[in-house]
Amino acid sequence: MRIILMLIKKEFLQVFRNPLLLSILVVAPLVEFMIFPFCADYEIKVLDIAFIDNDRSQVSRDIINKFNASGIFVPHGLLESKEKADAMMKHDRIDILIEFPHNFEQDLYNRQNTRIAITANAINSVKAGIGTGYAQEIIGGYMQDFAIANGSGSMQAMAAQLQAQQAAAQQQRKGSKTTSIQSDSPIMAEQAASIDISNVYWYNEQMNYKNLIVPGILVILVTLIGCYVTALNLVREKEIGTIEQVNVTPIKRWQFLLGKMIPFWLLGMVEFIAGLLIMKFVFGISVQGSIPLLLGITAIYLLVMLGLGFFISSVSENQLQSMFIVLFLFIVFVLLSGVFTPTEGMPEWAHKINYLNPMSFYIEVIKKIILKGSEFVSVQKETIVLSIMAVLINTGAILSYREASK
Amino acid sequence: MYSIEANQLTKQFGEFTAVDHICFQVREGEIFGFLGANGAGKTTAIKMMSGLLLPTSGTATIAGYDILTQSKLIKKSIGYMSQKFSLYGDLTVFENMQLFGTIYGIPRRELKDRIMASLRELDMDKQANTLVDSIPLGWKQKLAFATAILHRPKIVFLDEPTSGVDPIVRREFWKLIYQAASKGVTILVTTHYMDEAEYCNRISIMAEGQIKLIGTPEELKQQMGVDTINDVFVKFVKR
Repeated sequence: MRIILMLIKKEFLQVFRNPLLLSILVVAPLVEFMIFPFCADYEIKVLDIAFIDNDRSQVSRDIINKFNASGIFVPHGLLESKEKADAMMKHDRIDILIEFPHNFEQDLYNRQNTRIAITANAINSVKAGIGTGYAQEIIGGYMQDFAIANGSGSMQAMAAQLQAQQAAAQQQRKGSKTTSIQSDSPIMAEQAASIDISNVYWYNEQMNYKNLIVPGILVILVTLIGCYVTALNLVREKEIGTIEQVNVTPIKRWQFLLGKMIPFWLLGMVEFIAGLLIMKFVFGISVQGSIPLLLGITAIYLLVMLGLGFFISSVSENQLQSMFIVLFLFIVFVLLSGVFTPTEGMPEWAHKINYLNPMSFYIEVIKKIILKGSEFVSVQKETIVLSIMAVLINTGAILSYREASK
Repeated sequence: MYSIEANQLTKQFGEFTAVDHICFQVREGEIFGFLGANGAGKTTAIKMMSGLLLPTSGTATIAGYDILTQSKLIKKSIGYMSQKFSLYGDLTVFENMQLFGTIYGIPRRELKDRIMASLRELDMDKQANTLVDSIPLGWKQKLAFATAILHRPKIVFLDEPTSGVDPIVRREFWKLIYQAASKGVTILVTTHYMDEAEYCNRISIMAEGQIKLIGTPEELKQQMGVDTINDVFVKFVKR
């Protein structure tokens, strides 16, 4: 016990005398929290748009003006031909093309079927999906006003129809693989159906991406402290040679590793709590569920990451090697875990890999407890899996740590 | 009884034989010198004897314990000073000694007094709270030695303790070695300074992983018909 306390003291002294490490511990979370949530944002705020207006009527001009006034679309004017539009899209100059057919206005007044073509550059499928969504919203809004102004009941139905189309288009977004999505918005005159769609996004009612990104950053923070810092720490002692002086003493392996783990475990917990405070006071996201439960599971997750860090450093020869391994694992963990991208769209094999990915279990816990306010029962599975991982990886770390080399 | 007894101790790294079936004995309280050119196998032999490296074949007993089966017991009874300075540079002199003293199980109430007494002997008590990184190399080596014997081991392994150190500090360092030996500590020291070999009770000259010559400095000089160990070495290498 005395030995372990001494080792903890030693580790803390070293951390607080290492300006680089200290600044990583303090600056990294601050930077990540202050910058990342504002950049890593799925909302598309700027879209380049162009129009082909075959109608040149009051209605088509009104709709174009609506687009121009929306603040989301940056207009690139009226184009004469489809070829010109294709070329512009190919060169990434425009994201969305709106094409009005001949006799558009006339057909509307005559209550004939007519179509506006919305073409989106789907190289960036998220942008394309959201862009067509916005476009449909604007056209739909205009149609509603148009219907009211013209006092026509069937016009209102028409607007409703358009909204339904919109929802369907959003559903399709995920599957789109072609370079352009062509979604026609049929505007039918005689349609009695009146569907009213109202969306409520549970647990994140404003569809605020920060609610998703910020807990994700919390996960990354804990992972970095847990895995990165420890992986570098032990292997650094190997490089400098101090580990030899320790290995020649009668110290036991578990004593040495515990003396290494406890300090970084404490640091990780402090960072996590600091992260929670930033989350609450800067982003206004407060934990919906039980904080002790959240801390408890974080403690287990940190053990997994610390164990992994030590495992990596005991199998690597120098800091460069262990850094590469950590970096590689980290990218795999983050991309598969669902921190920034939904796992639902991933193929089956990715889901299978995710059973080995501690981060994917932990992000589930974080989202459930912070955003949903889940109780222990709904994170029971994740807790058990993380606990098993913690035991296995730490056993591996102790076994792979050799005092005497062969 | 011998403090150190090596029996056919061998270490191979792949095809390369670093230490080739060496046998020798060191008596209690003796200062035993390991001489040889760089790459002769001195460090490898020391690492095997101090439990940092497993031998390929053969064995050795250190303080009566077998290196293959009783390494934990050996570690309690030895001190070790690596070729490369390996105390913590970002800890102070006192903190380093406190850390290793604690690991070796020196009782808390005794530890502080022992450290201060040891530092006074080195004339370093004023540097107790200085970071190790900021003291000169010669002092670092003396500190490393003091730390290695703080827990009063029966045997101390010193791997080139004086390399890169100025002559004055080297002389002081050997004074410390003599002091420790006079208290009954067995000392195994490697060096490639031939003048230092004269300070040893007995020496062995290693080459290509084998012990080629072994005896007191006087014996070896007579055997080769020369006046200094330096000449012994030169003559031996030419042979």
